[in-house]
Amino acid sequence: MRVDLKEQLISLLKRPSSFGPDIDLNNYELSEPKIIERLDIGDDFTKASSRLGLEDKSKLNYVQINESAMYEALRESLRKYNVKVLPLRKALDEFMYVKDMVWKLVKPDQDKYTAASYLYGGELGYFIYVPSNTNVPIPIYSCLAITSNNKVQFAHNVIYVDEGSEVQVVTGCLVPHGIKGGLHIGISEFYVGKNSRLTFTMLHAWSEGIHVRPRTGVRVNAGGEYVNYYVIYSPVASLQTYPTITLGADSKASTSSVIAGSGEGIYDVGTKVILAEDNSSVELLSKVVAKDAAEINARSDVVAESLGKGHVECLGLLLSPKSKISSIPALTSKKPGAILSHEAAIGIIAQEELEYLMSKGFKEDEAKSILIRGFIDIDVKGIPLSVKAEIDRVLDLIASNIASG
Amino acid sequence: MLRIRDLEVSVGGRKVVTGVNLSVGSNELHVIIGPNGSGKSTLLAAIMGLSRVNILNGSIIFEETDITYSPSYERAKLGIALAHQNPPSIKGVKFSEIVKNLIKRCGCSDYTIMSKMLRVDEFMQRDLFVGFSGGERKRAELYLVMLQNPKLALLDEPDSGVDVESLNLIAEFINLLIKRGSSAVLVTHSGNILSKLSRIDRVHLMIDGNIIFSGLADEVVPLVFKYGFKKTAEALGKVGGEG
Repeated sequence: MRVDLKEQLISLLKRPSSFGPDIDLNNYELSEPKIIERLDIGDDFTKASSRLGLEDKSKLNYVQINESAMYEALRESLRKYNVKVLPLRKALDEFMYVKDMVWKLVKPDQDKYTAASYLYGGELGYFIYVPSNTNVPIPIYSCLAITSNNKVQFAHNVIYVDEGSEVQVVTGCLVPHGIKGGLHIGISEFYVGKNSRLTFTMLHAWSEGIHVRPRTGVRVNAGGEYVNYYVIYSPVASLQTYPTITLGADSKASTSSVIAGSGEGIYDVGTKVILAEDNSSVELLSKVVAKDAAEINARSDVVAESLGKGHVECLGLLLSPKSKISSIPALTSKKPGAILSHEAAIGIIAQEELEYLMSKGFKEDEAKSILIRGFIDIDVKGIPLSVKAEIDRVLDLIASNIASG
Repeated sequence: MLRIRDLEVSVGGRKVVTGVNLSVGSNELHVIIGPNGSGKSTLLAAIMGLSRVNILNGSIIFEETDITYSPSYERAKLGIALAHQNPPSIKGVKFSEIVKNLIKRCGCSDYTIMSKMLRVDEFMQRDLFVGFSGGERKRAELYLVMLQNPKLALLDEPDSGVDVESLNLIAEFINLLIKRGSSAVLVTHSGNILSKLSRIDRVHLMIDGNIIFSGLADEVVPLVFKYGFKKTAEALGKVGGEG
């Protein structure tokens, strides 16, 4: 590492990030990042992963608990597609080309969290490579967990889908019950090749004391498509993320987020999309539910640098007088002819709807749960049925948890 | 089965039902007829226990249980079902989800045949009442009531805003409901459906928040059709409501 870069990054560690509550990195314990053959996956992990529908360990391709990673690079099911799934550090050692894929879409000096990851992360996290003209019909699953108190977990994930290919990746992030504090810093760099398609589903189930700082960059090349489904439920101390998606010619992206805020959590979640080349298009949809004293900022920013289309939709449901939702959409056009639009609405559960369901014999909590489940339902095209079933299960849980007091 | 005494109900601070007395026996079909705004729907809302109405006075007894202040879901579990006049459109909630829940709870066995007959299977996967036509709404609500296999069905204007085909179908199912042993209170301002019902045990004329006359269908309905509510009320008003 260059000395001047290292010094620059060290100085960054003390500078608060632009968004979200500032986290003092000194409050968290660093562990040595390591890759191990066998990882002790305890009952706690299994129980916690069941909240995300990922309790079946046999289908996980990559598991990272705290700073220890375990993987099975070539599961039988993936072997025939020549798909690579391995820890990023190992990939950097084994394949020369991987170094050209890291820290390109997310820069080390973006903020204190990227700096910390660059300096101390040890490039743990997964690397997934899908060769050209390959349609991988089975989803690739990974799971990242914090199981010890006050640890910082770094994960640097890189997905490269080569030309004319298609893959679905599902990542679950979680903590078992009893974990009171921790910090997760995730760096994600996704490359969607020419005429390729990446469907990426991220499910988050943290707890009250966890701070979460994902940093994500996505590049979609000509004719490619990026579909993102993001669900967070269960409380966090704070979550701040603002991925950037850059779209090439004739490419498209759609993101759907369900943010269920509870406790005293601060959720600052957004997406920036750059329509970099002509005929690119994006749809950003977020459904936001806040209860208790949760505070949610739902941001979005679509920048048209070329002829393209962008639509932003944010719908919020405020369930408690102490909670707060802000929808902060931004549209910037630098190209005459680009079409950008947004719509946002924040409301409460309609009394008329609640009354109707109660008249059909549903108790108030049951009726609320049905209405919340209906509100957060998002029809995402391109999600395989098996993944949709898991997402539905998480959404069912969100609805019943949020509705019950 | 149902006994209402001196019921006074307000909506939004305005008294809408002003001392209603009504008794409905087992397996009886009662019709409440009256002009728009006479308090008919509010009376049904009060019997169902909807939170938008405020009971000021009186009592509602259902099968010897005082339900005057019970929440609506408890009344539903006791066997009262309401077919709403204007059910709300609920985005994201599939009609099939409510159907599934009611089948599970109420154990209705012939739901498949009924869904075909009432032609509701065609919108089973649609969001609840979103974009439903008038006839679809009425048929869907009646279907949900049938699934609940109620002891007492409250039918709020099932004949308003529907075409002849739907009207015939709705009447057929109300007849079936009674044939199966349910009681029902049907509210109408048009009276369109009355000639299609196989049996009406009692007709109540409701004007300005109160039942001013109760009698047999032949005593009331022809007069209403011929002279309208106002003149019929003037002619029959002295008789008064049920005691």
